[in-house]
Amino acid sequence: MIIAIGVFVSLPARAQDTDVMTDEHIARIKLNCASALATLGQIKTNDALVYVNRNQSYFSISDKLIARLNSRLALNRFDTTPLAKIATEYNSALTDFRTAYNDYSRVMTDLVKIDCSRQPVGFYDKVGEAREMRQDVYDAIKKLHTIIDQYRQAVDTFKQQHLTKLKANTNE
Amino acid sequence: MSEDHSLAGEPNKAWYQTRIVLFIGGSIGVALLLVLISMALYVSSGAAQLDLSRPGYQSVQNKVDPSDKFKSFPASGTVNEATIDQFQKLYQDQVNKVTATDAFNPDVLSNQALGIDAPGADQ
Repeated sequence: MIIAIGVFVSLPARAQDTDVMTDEHIARIKLNCASALATLGQIKTNDALVYVNRNQSYFSISDKLIARLNSRLALNRFDTTPLAKIATEYNSALTDFRTAYNDYSRVMTDLVKIDCSRQPVGFYDKVGEAREMRQDVYDAIKKLHTIIDQYRQAVDTFKQQHLTKLKANTNE
Repeated sequence: MSEDHSLAGEPNKAWYQTRIVLFIGGSIGVALLLVLISMALYVSSGAAQLDLSRPGYQSVQNKVDPSDKFKSFPASGTVNEATIDQFQKLYQDQVNKVTATDAFNPDVLSNQALGIDAPGADQ
């Protein structure tokens, strides 16, 4: 039992399965610390602007285009089930985008506060975490764009399926 | 009698002062609690991420796209072929502005881009 405890105590206290960083790597991080932090600060500021504009645009697509067409079609007694389904998926994807960005923003806020000259390993790991969260935001945007295209195709399909009735309404 | 009055007034005065202190302290405590709740809601609701008046974001405050630039589709009216054509054109015009540009590409946070990659690493 004593031997088992001794073996356990002698194990390295690394919880991560990443490669051990060399002294040269740590020195490089410390050397480029200031420029890395400056770059991250600029990215963080620019991200905020991009998010505000994108969030506004995506919301407007839902509120001022998709919802309005669905509503107008329903008022004119067209079957909007496929379009409404896509609208629901779009709103869900929009929520996912906002959540992903909120999580990413929090990590970036913590990241730019790290003194990488004193905590190079922690800084390096946090950059990796921020990169993963940014990937999540990127994926959420891709999903939104996919659904946007799906809605466009669904409207095309709707038009083809109801062409006769639409033409009849034109003649009225 | 005046002695009785003065003797009875002392505890009342002390209790009155205690109540004043408790009232002020309680008011400050309630105000602080409400501030904490407000800040928690501000952060958790996502409003913080939309607020460019925060310190450090002054440089981009005036670069936000005005919301009234987005052309909306009328929610009422008849629906005919021309209506659908109108929507399709409007939709494509508005959507192209958003989908044409890439955003939040993770490559900008690569180790190479930040200069924190391992020396001599060919990644």
